[in-house]
Amino acid sequence: MTLTALTDQPVHSRGQSFWRAVELAGCYLLGALWVLPLFYAVWMAFHAAEYEVRFDLFAPLTLGNFVDAWNAAPFARYFLNTFVLITVILASQFVICTLAAYAFARYEFRGKTIVFMLVLLQLMIMPEVLLVENYRTMVKLGVIDTVLAMGLPYMASAFGIFLLRQAFLTVPKELDDAARVEGAGPLGILLKVYVPLSRPIYVAYGLVSVSYHWNNLLWPLVVTNSVSTRPLTVGLQVFASPDQGVQWSIISAAALMTSAPLLIGFLLFQRQFVQSFMRAGIK
Amino acid sequence: MSGIEIKNLHKRWATFDAVRDVSFTVAPGTLTVLLGPSGCGKSTTLRLIAGLDAATSGQILIGGRDVTTAPPARRGLAMVFQNYALFPHLSVAENILFGLKVRRVPAAERTRRLRKAADILGLGALLERKPSQLSGGQQQRVALGRAIVAEAPICLMDEPLSNLDAQLRHEMRKEIRSIQQSLNMTMVYVTHDQIEAMSLADQVILMRGGSIEQKAAPVDLYLKPATSFAARFIGTPPMNLIALANGKGGAIVKGSQGPALVEGSGDGLLLGLRPEEIRIEREGIVPATIRSIEYHGADSILECAVGDQLLLVRVEGIRRHTVGDTVRLGWLPEAMHIFDEAQSQRVERKVLVRQAEPALRVAT
Ligand SMILES: Nc1ncnc2c1ncn2[C@@H]1O[C@H](COP(=O)(O)OP(=O)(O)O)[C@@H](O)[C@H]1O
Ligand SMILES: [Mg+2]
Repeated sequence: MTLTALTDQPVHSRGQSFWRAVELAGCYLLGALWVLPLFYAVWMAFHAAEYEVRFDLFAPLTLGNFVDAWNAAPFARYFLNTFVLITVILASQFVICTLAAYAFARYEFRGKTIVFMLVLLQLMIMPEVLLVENYRTMVKLGVIDTVLAMGLPYMASAFGIFLLRQAFLTVPKELDDAARVEGAGPLGILLKVYVPLSRPIYVAYGLVSVSYHWNNLLWPLVVTNSVSTRPLTVGLQVFASPDQGVQWSIISAAALMTSAPLLIGFLLFQRQFVQSFMRAGIK
Repeated sequence: MSGIEIKNLHKRWATFDAVRDVSFTVAPGTLTVLLGPSGCGKSTTLRLIAGLDAATSGQILIGGRDVTTAPPARRGLAMVFQNYALFPHLSVAENILFGLKVRRVPAAERTRRLRKAADILGLGALLERKPSQLSGGQQQRVALGRAIVAEAPICLMDEPLSNLDAQLRHEMRKEIRSIQQSLNMTMVYVTHDQIEAMSLADQVILMRGGSIEQKAAPVDLYLKPATSFAARFIGTPPMNLIALANGKGGAIVKGSQGPALVEGSGDGLLLGLRPEEIRIEREGIVPATIRSIEYHGADSILECAVGDQLLLVRVEGIRRHTVGDTVRLGWLPEAMHIFDEAQSQRVERKVLVRQAEPALRVAT
């Protein structure tokens, strides 16, 4: 975005074009810094262990690291766990946030402003701060080491409620009125008018949520302790712990493998995602 | 078929009375227009009838049934909104059938009604399009289609034509009237456009500041305005309202030398005369000076001074008048409307102006 915006501007003077070149170089530098570790990981994953610290353009490629990684830990199970976790969280978030946002956007009730302020307050609290307190709650609920425990703290997402409320507020009141005259009830209006009209927001929010929970490590690490619940991130962490001996090429292969579905998904639907983000106003 | 009866309807928004003590009835199968300047409470009244807002007090009966607290869906009505309120994510056909699907009307019946509405409105070729792919006039038709397929006895419309250009507005106006009559709908139609009101309505309800100023058939509204506001609101250019004063033998135009136009005192009274009813005649009633001339094509509007009052006169084509000419203005006795300036109410006074026909003049 920045780049295209810059090139669109007419160049007026030598000084300006100099600064533009500096900016451009800065952009490339930052981009390179960002992408270098990824390149390094890809390099390591596809080469034998002896090329870890030796760069040779014609080093033989191998898929051995992937096979080793796959066999070294129950990654199939971890994939399933992550998939279940993400599905449960996303589904609950959509349901809970949609209903809450609808109430905040279109209903008048006592204490509405205060309740909404409380929701916004939640936006400003780092989840890590509540780690211990959340753990105690989960213990009391008796759900430690379950998918529910991993998902519960995130289901009523303040961000989701806020985002959807803003989206619902932009739906013309006239459409709501028309649907009411046509005989639709409150839930019917929500599902037939508000939700379809906010689809880009759902896509954008879904993407943020999926990538966040796909990568989330700390909380699942705290509340899980068995193979049958551990998501990929925790599994990878366990796998990479020093007591097994650090084999960077295998770890790289495993890391690449676990992030591949997200990466491929994003590349495939890149255009739709970017459009959704533009329309949702998140950048 | 059902009519509508509104009794002492009142709507208060926080500290502001948007609708005050409004009562009227709409006979089954007729079209009533709620007319008035912007902000006078027309839309609020319509939304109360629809059930989209709750009345503060008063009663609404539809088909003899008290629906004051019933939800919109239970009132047996369809509504067309100012901005059409089409669902942007649905096709034209889905938009039209939205309500029927919600009400679980069988598919065969839905198809029949869709075809009928599409025929009436000429929408056949557009059914698969999205609203954003339609022109304003076509969107308006889809909104009408949705009201038609509901086959509700009552149809409410809130300024349905205000977003269309003049040409299209005229066509749609005729179309709405013919649909209303052929389907025998009971219709309440909101507009701020007096020409639309006059050409459509069986009954016009003129509102101002939340209350009813006058309810009458269009003809009566034009011929016998109940207040000076009603007099000014109907007609283009609006009716002249000139101040009267006490004079010899009756009330005279303020600042003039007479003659007496109505019996009794003139102070505090207004004389209403429509520009199109005033003629320039050699034997006219009052002398006047032409102040300006505005040429409109088929007619011209002259601004004339009588005494210290100004009034507009509509004459056909361009006459041989020039600014500064002194002429005499005449009119028929029935063309005179007298209003109390303070109360703005119409008052009946004996008119002293006689028919200015030469034959009569010779006989006397
Ligand atoms: N929801 C509302 N809350 C507060 N005031 C309102 C509301 N709706 C309308 N009003 C006020 O009521 C008055 C009448 O509005 P409305 O019926 O829309 O007028 P119009 O005759 O132009 O359709 C206006 O002064 C408007 O500001
Ligand atoms: Mg209005």
